[in-house]
Amino acid sequence: MKPTKESSAIDRRQFLERSAKAGIAIAGVSLLGYALYDPLGPVASETDTGGIVRLPSFSLAESGPRMAIATGADRVSSINLAFKAIGGIDAFIKQGDRVLIKVNAAFATPPFLCATTNPELLAEVCRLCFKAGASSVIITDNPINNPESCFALSGIGESARSVGADLILPKDSFFKPTTVAGGTLIKNWPMLYAPFQGVNKLIGIAPVKDHHRSGASMSMKNWYGLIGGRRNIFHQNINDFIMELGLMVKPTLVILDGTMTMMTNGPTGGSLSDLKATNTMIVSTDQVAADAFGATLLGRTARDLPYLQKAEAEGVGTIDFELLRPVRVQAV
Amino acid sequence: MKPGKIETRVGFLILLVLCGIAAGIAIKQTRYDESIFTIALSKDAPSSSMPEAAGTTPDLQEYLPAGMVSMTPMETFGPETLSEKIDGKAELYLSAGFLNLRCQRFAEAGKPDRWLELYVYDMGSTRNAYSVFSTQRRADAGDATFVEFAYQTANALFFLHGRHYVEVIAASDRMAEILLAVGENFTRENPEDTEAMSEVALFPKASLVPDSIALLAENVFGFSGLNNTFIAHYTLSGTELTAFLSPRQSDREARGAAMAYHQFLLENGGVEAAMTAAIPEARLVRIFDTFELFFVHGIYLAGVHEAESKELAEELASNLRKTLVEATP
Repeated sequence: MKPTKESSAIDRRQFLERSAKAGIAIAGVSLLGYALYDPLGPVASETDTGGIVRLPSFSLAESGPRMAIATGADRVSSINLAFKAIGGIDAFIKQGDRVLIKVNAAFATPPFLCATTNPELLAEVCRLCFKAGASSVIITDNPINNPESCFALSGIGESARSVGADLILPKDSFFKPTTVAGGTLIKNWPMLYAPFQGVNKLIGIAPVKDHHRSGASMSMKNWYGLIGGRRNIFHQNINDFIMELGLMVKPTLVILDGTMTMMTNGPTGGSLSDLKATNTMIVSTDQVAADAFGATLLGRTARDLPYLQKAEAEGVGTIDFELLRPVRVQAV
Repeated sequence: MKPGKIETRVGFLILLVLCGIAAGIAIKQTRYDESIFTIALSKDAPSSSMPEAAGTTPDLQEYLPAGMVSMTPMETFGPETLSEKIDGKAELYLSAGFLNLRCQRFAEAGKPDRWLELYVYDMGSTRNAYSVFSTQRRADAGDATFVEFAYQTANALFFLHGRHYVEVIAASDRMAEILLAVGENFTRENPEDTEAMSEVALFPKASLVPDSIALLAENVFGFSGLNNTFIAHYTLSGTELTAFLSPRQSDREARGAAMAYHQFLLENGGVEAAMTAAIPEARLVRIFDTFELFFVHGIYLAGVHEAESKELAEELASNLRKTLVEATP
């Protein structure tokens, strides 16, 4: 049946009514959308909603690239020798500085298994920082295992307390989302941020270890402990991830402890037979250079560790550590 | 009736708004955050999608000798949470078929510095357990004789029993007797069969480096198409060589694996090389100044990996084939 003009046409009044309803519907949806709009995107539950945070650069332009390689079996002697070789710790730590030391406290294992930062070495570095005039020294990490157990059984907790350093164990509220500029993996991801509040110098202290996924765990891999959330998913793309950690963290200097190197079965080890006395302590302003030298202690080269090549390509540092003209010193 | 101009414009406006909403959703999706939108997993709950792990022991105290007290409650980790305990080494276990880890720390009563941690990995089968046991074997370890596959270092005991791989790691190098007692208690309290590793006997004994046989679960020699492969180290004329043996499901599959491996080598810079020895169904590929020699015998793909000398590669491959022919004519 052909519709009549009366049944199909609408008059002006009906049109305005329908338009008004459509307008109200659009306005309602728009208002609802505006109310629900989140300009920051998803925020991790551990964090405040204060937005994305980024670590400042803690590196010292005025000190220039420096590197020392000290050999000796005693960590305390080696670290003192190494610092002396590159102008003393005074070249990096000044009066009133607030220093954060990122240790590797990943596992609840005893110090002699060398899976974590050595407590004697840590204590000596803290002492040196205070002696140089640091007003505070903070020790922190977000371990793989239970933090209390890790800091207690690794000896790091007692070491920090014995020299008057502040130990900060991770809490959910200490994490804030971060994004690495130019990165593809660390995007809006929780990072252990609270310990950095008020800090103006950053030192990383890590042991030299074999690592099943990345080939090695040294200075750059140590920053993994600043990451929160379900970070194990990054193991699938470990080399890119470590490279991004290098972009994320620009330390004042790194200390790479190769006094005893975990040659096999890393990163956990577990047996004294996984270790080899390599009697080397590295202090460097360039974390890539430090790790490139550390690779040699594992019987590898920087070319065997893809994350180092990626980091160099991104300008994090150089794998040609000889460019830093490292000062080599030996304990008597 | 043809709609009026205003009606048409309103219609377009509505469509435009809908397109804007769709674009907003699309943009939002690109900011997907896996740290938030992942399923929360309990440390105590292995994945329900995995086969059930054996054993429902409430804790591990029963394996400890008298005088040892627990320092911590028992922890349990499944495939999704294993890395929370052993970090980057988790992949080694996961690729070998890991089901479940139970671990707990104990100390001597009144001597908190003398503590140990017991790790019991349920790998689902002896073969899986052998894979993680053999690939982590410490070179300078001493044998422990209470089970077939066990060794002891200054501060630790490692063994496999049935479907379990067990580590007992002490915080002191003066707890050897306690570690052994834990191992003996474990095997006594868990009477289960340990499957024989028949492939181990197929490697020639001459020039074999003791305790060097290992089972690689996957991605063997960097080739994702090769899994379940035994390797063994040899010293011939002062040169180290690696022999390998990969059991497949059938003769046909073995030949297919050989072809795929051959292709993989050629695609990665390998070139065919002429052989001197007469080994049936064998291929020799020169790659980065080393030689890769492999052949098929029955269901086995076997050969020599990264040999520095062609002659030594042929010698070891000939010995390996001879042993295979004798064992599986």
